[in-house]
Amino acid sequence: MRNMTTALIKTHNLRKQFISYKKSPGIMGSFTSFFKRNPVTKDAVKGFDLEVKKGEIVGLLGPNGAGKTTLMKMFTGIIVPTDGELKILGSNPWERDKNFRKRIALVMGQKSQLWWDIPAMDSFLLLQKYYEVPQAAFEARIEKMSELLGVKDLLHIHVRKLSLGERMKMELMASLLHNPEVIFLDEPTIGLDLVAQENIRNFIKEYHRENDCCIIITSHYMQDVQALCDRLVLIFDGEKGYDGPLDNFEDILGSEKSVSFSFKNAPQKDHPLLSGYDASWNEEGTSVELRVPEEELCSLSAKILNALEVDDFATEKLPIERVMKELMNNPEILRQKREAQANV
Amino acid sequence: METTFTSRLGHYWDVYKKFVSTSVSVETSFRTSFILLIFMDLFFFFSSVGSVSFIYDHVVQIGPWQKNELLFFLTFMLMIDNLHMMIFSQSFWEFSFNIRTGQLDYVILKPMNTIFSVFFRHFRASSLFNTPLFLGYLIYYGIQVGLSPFDWLMVPFFVALSLALLVVVEFILSTSMFWLTDGVGINFLRMQMQQLARWPNFIYQGAIRKFLTVFIPILLIGSGPVHFLLDKSAWQLLATMVVALFAFTGILLFIWKIGLRRYDSASS
Repeated sequence: MRNMTTALIKTHNLRKQFISYKKSPGIMGSFTSFFKRNPVTKDAVKGFDLEVKKGEIVGLLGPNGAGKTTLMKMFTGIIVPTDGELKILGSNPWERDKNFRKRIALVMGQKSQLWWDIPAMDSFLLLQKYYEVPQAAFEARIEKMSELLGVKDLLHIHVRKLSLGERMKMELMASLLHNPEVIFLDEPTIGLDLVAQENIRNFIKEYHRENDCCIIITSHYMQDVQALCDRLVLIFDGEKGYDGPLDNFEDILGSEKSVSFSFKNAPQKDHPLLSGYDASWNEEGTSVELRVPEEELCSLSAKILNALEVDDFATEKLPIERVMKELMNNPEILRQKREAQANV
Repeated sequence: METTFTSRLGHYWDVYKKFVSTSVSVETSFRTSFILLIFMDLFFFFSSVGSVSFIYDHVVQIGPWQKNELLFFLTFMLMIDNLHMMIFSQSFWEFSFNIRTGQLDYVILKPMNTIFSVFFRHFRASSLFNTPLFLGYLIYYGIQVGLSPFDWLMVPFFVALSLALLVVVEFILSTSMFWLTDGVGINFLRMQMQQLARWPNFIYQGAIRKFLTVFIPILLIGSGPVHFLLDKSAWQLLATMVVALFAFTGILLFIWKIGLRRYDSASS
């Protein structure tokens, strides 16, 4: 049971519905939908419960359209929930209290708050005025963050001339200038190369270590989550599928291990020892990765080692990517697990 | 309490100064466009004044006014138009774009009044270059109609009052973009409203005049102050204008709040 008094983010039965319109293609479709709308109601978030304490970094994962960004927008007060309770730093975000807005920050990997046609520094100066950041603190933060992110020489270059990675670093700086207590990062590394992704991850880690702030991050890159988060919240079709430590995430598929074998000669792919364990082969068919229940691990490995010409083999916990892929292919696993828990 | 109000005002002023400086920085990055906008404003000014002059080449009087009185009214309205172009016009177009693309998300997050963040954000420096000319013509025709020292003192106040009523009506129209999402139609409607307000109220008759005085009170904008400046017994329109300003500000604050709650953003 988490300490209720220190929860900076608290939601109970949070819901959000969107209404859109279906339209048939072509001119006739346009005329028909002009005179007669065909509304479609979508439950983007369905009864979502969450509590996040000060100092936590929580990874919010889910496939496209699962409701991650909708949650982020409700948390920051951009959109209003249809139903349910929501408190961030003790405030209702959608009431948009000035002090509340000064204590949070949102970074969206696919939208920019910087002005395209002026240098980032000009945008920072405007943000300084917006958030009433004292001059000394402003200068110190700019100095520190630009140093950490390696963008000191780019502060006076027009934003439109920066690369995507450089721009994202500036976006992060812009969002953190006012030293927010709760930070929402919506896909902050999207579209970036591996080096830029790592730079940004390191910066977030360092910033969190120094400021002990609360961070919610959504990302499709598992490296982001593995590098930054201790806790993972999984959302599927607007519902929470998992909420717990990252270390236990693979348990969602049961106590299974990943075992990989490399063979001298490619064996038959339908070999009885290798089938039925969700085998994932390399292109040449000389290496396979199996998902094996923990209790069968020793006996199955021994049988394979005896029966086939094995060059090398290794066992490890199921990689987070593998678990996510499995859940995205079979989301009913989560439903079954929830029902089983409810029955218990 | 006084200190809090003063410091809040100071905060808004500080931010506004940054709005101006960043807007100037953006606008002057595109030099040809900057100069073209100055010429476009000049063309608009001289074509408006020229049209009225031309009409008075053929008639002596329109309604109760002769040439100088109508040109004083027109230059008064063009002064408001100049300030409107400088302070607000760009923001109306950006607002519609921001709603459609979801860029409004970041504007809403800023710790200030959202009406201020949305509608005062863009300053058009090119219009500032023409202000002395617009002002010069207003003063010239003010002298022609024989304004008293008291009248001259009131002119800046009346310009501000008229501008305030115009933009409050436009803010209300623009709020409908939260429901409509696409704001092109609303922006053209706004411009048509400005067009109608550029003529004195006596040009219009019957139901149209009533509608544009009471329901969308754009005919009060120039007619209220100018009728009063030319004839002190014609104070009723001016008084109605002040009442309309308060009433429509109240309506704006009410529907803006509802509009913000209606905002759905755009998916990422």
